[in-house]
Amino acid sequence: MIEFKGVYFSYVPGEYVIKNINLFINRGEILAILGGNGAGKTTLVKHINGLLKPQLGYVKVLGMNTKEVSVAKLAKQVGLVFQNPDHQLFAETVEKEVMFALINFGFPPEEIKSRTEKILRGLDLIEYKDRSPFTLSGGEKKRLALAAVLCYDPSIIILDEPTTGQDYNQKRNLAKLLKRFNEEGKTIIIVTHDIEFVADFIPRCIIMSNGEIVADGPSDDILTRGELLMANKLLMPQLVEICYELSINPPSIKFDVVLSKVRAIMKGEI
Amino acid sequence: MRVFSFQYTRKSSIIHKIDPRAKLVYLILFTILVVYYSNPIILFLIFLSSIPMVVLGKVIDRWKISIRSALFFIIFIFIFNFIGIFWSTGSLEYSIILSIAMSIRFIALISIFSAFFLTTSPEDLMQSMVQLKIPYEYALTFNMSMRFVPTLTRELQIIMDAQKSRGLELERGNILQKVRKYIPILVPLIINSFRRAEMIADAMESRAFGASKERTSFYTLTMGRKDYIFIIVSFISFFAILSLKLFFGIG
Repeated sequence: MIEFKGVYFSYVPGEYVIKNINLFINRGEILAILGGNGAGKTTLVKHINGLLKPQLGYVKVLGMNTKEVSVAKLAKQVGLVFQNPDHQLFAETVEKEVMFALINFGFPPEEIKSRTEKILRGLDLIEYKDRSPFTLSGGEKKRLALAAVLCYDPSIIILDEPTTGQDYNQKRNLAKLLKRFNEEGKTIIIVTHDIEFVADFIPRCIIMSNGEIVADGPSDDILTRGELLMANKLLMPQLVEICYELSINPPSIKFDVVLSKVRAIMKGEI
Repeated sequence: MRVFSFQYTRKSSIIHKIDPRAKLVYLILFTILVVYYSNPIILFLIFLSSIPMVVLGKVIDRWKISIRSALFFIIFIFIFNFIGIFWSTGSLEYSIILSIAMSIRFIALISIFSAFFLTTSPEDLMQSMVQLKIPYEYALTFNMSMRFVPTLTRELQIIMDAQKSRGLELERGNILQKVRKYIPILVPLIINSFRRAEMIADAMESRAFGASKERTSFYTLTMGRKDYIFIIVSFISFFAILSLKLFFGIG
């Protein structure tokens, strides 16, 4: 339902930021796009809601070729939450901030009211509803930016670096929330370099390097390949590092699996 | 979207090596000419006179970007001038000629300023301002505002993308509606600028900005032979163009 076929894009003529991207994402999938700074992750996801159009190849989202439809039309289906909430918060109150997109998409007034209230409750922001967005803390602003997109119920949700500046509890809450939306049948794409978050919560991952997709597969396969990660400026998840240090073969990203192996070593069974 | 990119890049060329003060002389003289004349042909001549600087300075690519974005504004400058002048004078020919002159004047100004800023490093410019006895605080303020133009353009782009992703359609509606649509873009831009200014002020104070009255300079600029030649050439061209009006009555 999201399909990239031979996609190239450059900001400066001749210097491709993403090269030969071939990618297929099914409805209801949840996946992470990993890669170092400048690998082309953000450029890639901006193609999904049509902010950027491929210079070669094509991108199809829900059967629509992104070159043929407007950003506004795609945005209704594809919710893209940007990395820095300060780049989008502008309204006088938290409530109005959420209403912005709903008004843009022409929802009827009663529905705007009910949707706003529902999403603010869902993200623990209801008590701030009359406050200015600029008085919120960093983590709250991030949740508000998320609410401002989730409110109109897009079927694809893309989050650019959602975990930066969040403590562990907030990350876990985010993961829970994403799981809930995923169970409702939404497709979720997360752009990040927080490898531990991916190892803990996201089943499929893609690694990008220098504008190309260098690996695509289940997280418990890809994240245990130490050399691949290092070659692409990524750290191994700590569990995998422990596996390598203790020569546990095959390495795993599952806490329980590693724990039982470590216990076995301590008992002298291996 | 690419806006005026007066962004300096380090390169080695004759023009880069000329003292900023000498280039400042050129900038002032030619700005005077641009403002003084309203004859389209002479304005075009002034525009052409900035091209050797660009070519010798090896900054044609970036200069082209400046000119291209200026061309976009020219459409508005031409239309508004034409309407205004035609309204008050009623002469079609006069309105067209003057509107063309205004458009070329704008392009010429952009070209002269591009030639200057694209070949002058911000540090050298600041140092020369200090040596011209401009108070350090003012020189620094000027320099920093130039320094943040590209940062702001980049940020503007991100904000526009973010709001478009939330269904904002900038292209639709009448003029009044369109202006209102820029609120969600300008508010974050302005607030972020204030926040950044505060952060920079904190960072500067924590590095002892303003701790002592007398600042010393690590290096000083000295005017050499090529700088004086450059100034003389600037003056000669200035008077040559000026004489067109003074002695020949053209323009």
